[in-house]
Amino acid sequence: MTDRSYLGEFELMLLLAVIHLGDDAYGVPISRELEAHRGRSVAVGSVYAALERLEAKGLVASSLGDPTPERGGKAKRYFCITKEGLRQVHETRRVLTSLWETIPDFRLQES
Amino acid sequence: MRRREPPPLANWMLEHLPSGDCDEALGGDLLEEFQAGRSDSWYRRQVLAACLVSWTGSLRARISLLGFALVWCLPVPAWMVLCERIEHAGAVGRFWQMTEARFWPGAVAMGLTLHSTFLWAGILLFCLGHRFAGSPLRWEKIRRALLLAPLIFTPVFLVVFVLLALYWDAVFPNALLAASPLRQMADLHLLANALRVPYFVAFLGALWAAAPRPLRASQPLDAESVLTEFEPEFDTLAVLSNLAPFALRRFLVFLAAAGLVNAMIGGYLLCRLPEPHSATLASLFLRAVVHVGVGVLAGALGSWLYWKHPSSPLRDGSPGSFAPFALICAAGWVWVPPMVVFADQLSAGAALIAMIGAFVLVSGLRSATGFVFSPAQPLPSGVGYESDGLFQESLQRPRADAFGYLIAVSLYAAGAALVAHSIFPAIALLAFSAALFAWKATVPSGRSFESLEETRRAALRLGLQVIPAILVTIWALAGGAGHRDLAAHADEANAVDENSSSQKNSPKPGTGLARNGLGGYESLILWPFPEKKQLLPPILQQNSLLAPGTREPVVLRFNGEYWFVQAPQKRPGPEAHQASGTPISVDIRANNAVPLVMDAHQNLSAPVPLARCREIEVEIENRDNKAGSISLALLLTDAAAPHKQTLYLGQQPIVSTDSTHFSIKQSPVFETLRFPVPPTGSIRKFSEITVLVLPDVEHMFAAPKIAIQQFKLFPR
Repeated sequence: MTDRSYLGEFELMLLLAVIHLGDDAYGVPISRELEAHRGRSVAVGSVYAALERLEAKGLVASSLGDPTPERGGKAKRYFCITKEGLRQVHETRRVLTSLWETIPDFRLQES
Repeated sequence: MRRREPPPLANWMLEHLPSGDCDEALGGDLLEEFQAGRSDSWYRRQVLAACLVSWTGSLRARISLLGFALVWCLPVPAWMVLCERIEHAGAVGRFWQMTEARFWPGAVAMGLTLHSTFLWAGILLFCLGHRFAGSPLRWEKIRRALLLAPLIFTPVFLVVFVLLALYWDAVFPNALLAASPLRQMADLHLLANALRVPYFVAFLGALWAAAPRPLRASQPLDAESVLTEFEPEFDTLAVLSNLAPFALRRFLVFLAAAGLVNAMIGGYLLCRLPEPHSATLASLFLRAVVHVGVGVLAGALGSWLYWKHPSSPLRDGSPGSFAPFALICAAGWVWVPPMVVFADQLSAGAALIAMIGAFVLVSGLRSATGFVFSPAQPLPSGVGYESDGLFQESLQRPRADAFGYLIAVSLYAAGAALVAHSIFPAIALLAFSAALFAWKATVPSGRSFESLEETRRAALRLGLQVIPAILVTIWALAGGAGHRDLAAHADEANAVDENSSSQKNSPKPGTGLARNGLGGYESLILWPFPEKKQLLPPILQQNSLLAPGTREPVVLRFNGEYWFVQAPQKRPGPEAHQASGTPISVDIRANNAVPLVMDAHQNLSAPVPLARCREIEVEIENRDNKAGSISLALLLTDAAAPHKQTLYLGQQPIVSTDSTHFSIKQSPVFETLRFPVPPTGSIRKFSEITVLVLPDVEHMFAAPKIAIQQFKLFPR
């Protein structure tokens, strides 16, 4: 993976939610996590679409769980972050932090 | 605790509308959230969003295909003009027109090939571009796209053609394509775009599944991730058979349908074979066995070919072998040959047989393939009976089911179609309602059709269906064979007697009745009753009627023939039934869905110079008590001319039948229609007057009770 690819805003949020949820990261808790932090609802379909893109890029991996009755016999799809995904999250954080640090006045106003 | 059910329409949309990339985990997540207390509207919004995301993702993944299709379809108007020139100019044009005149399917095939060439060239260019771009398409997919292109193009082209014809005046008044090819390519007006639509749809449809899904260009990936993305491409079969139950279900339905279509083709081809002149019971039995056997074999062959096709998900690993599957489907396919025979006779029996066959086929499939269509699922908590109460009431609310209404509507529509003599819609509707009923009413067994017990059960089921199917086929062959034979004989006789004037003597009364069985008469000739006292001969004995110096009109009492035929016949065949009477004294109606054609013919003993006749009055007697729009058209024929040339004098409406003036007739109404005669025309004299009755839909299948009384020829 090259260093030139950076994560988008929604993708970064998703990766952080997956990291935070750990072993319990599947569609429902990820969506709830995003809703709780963003303060607005999120379409589960778009969460899956973004996660599939991330999986295609090798940033997350997924596995199917057991089907449960309350889900109509449909299995959960658990996501976990890969080493490359973790590296990209750190890289994006580093870039964003360094960018923020170049704006001292704005940071003062914020604080 | 009461279990809530999500909105059924949204559920259906979630299951069927998103593209194939949407997995079941999304459905499970939505259901889990819904059970946790989300509202119906939330569920609907999520389903809509999932569909939109899926569609946009699918389109975005094929953005190169969309762009290429748009660009490739720009020259379509110029290509259409070129095709038009090829079809009508030069040696190719002459060959084309000759083929069209002698064997029209050949001309249709040539036209389809010509139009498909454009699509094939585009597909090959697209594949070439992908090869140069480093992502070559698989040959199987290219071959499939080449095959699919004309199959998609033909129906779309027909639909566009019909729509253009229907709305030409409203939408395209004075619409023309540009003059030069370059301008035609750049033409973005409605007509040019309408011509591009079939090519665009066919191109996209053919390559939709073949186009690889590229990764986003904004995020370049390394070789490992590219391999991860394209890995399923190289192991599609295993993925389909193991991970895609929907694809497996769809493929099983496709297999059964392919067999059904093959059985229909086999039955249709058998119906086209010549039939023996004398049908005995043994020969009918033999033919019925052949019909049923060919139907089953053709169906099994069609299914087997797709089962073993390289793209089949069942080829490498299937939940069962082909033999029991074929036996299960064959129980339905045996009903196809008798249905085709009945349909060939436009008999309502075809709809009934189609209903039986659809029910047997679908119930067999549903019962035997329950492990595919209804896999066992764990019972949700809170559903059904609580564990601690043996006699507790079910807490599950019965689901609203729209299938009952759908079946009822289909049955009503089929009944209406039968009443309107529309056999083929009735066949489709009854088969659909029976299939739907069988699907909902049959309980899946849950056993694999690999088991010996299931194979034995399928064989027994087939054996029980074969015997009644053969009996019904015998009935169909015995009942309707005569109609087609008579029609064929009539066509042959018409071809032979095209220029002969001996038609009047050729029919042999009564001979058709003995052979046609239940089929009725293939055509009919009515002779008016002779007048009891005829003081004046109907036709004056002179060399020419309306000779120079004649001042008074010549009155000719009608004493010719009434002809009743059905298209494509133009005149009664040699075995037409002949009887005395007029359309007023007898009831004549079609016993199939082919409209009746009625006309009256009056031969004159001496020719009348066209220049001497100013006008012809036709006096009719109208006793028809069905409102509608009926017109009479008049044709003058010169029987002595080499090709029996005719002159059309136009048509006049019968006012006493028209709905605006209509009233129930207690007594006959006499009406006179006037036809002006031009002094010159394609003939110089005429010796025969033909009155064509042009009925509306209400009178198409029952001859109107209108008789010709007399003609009055006015001198000029």
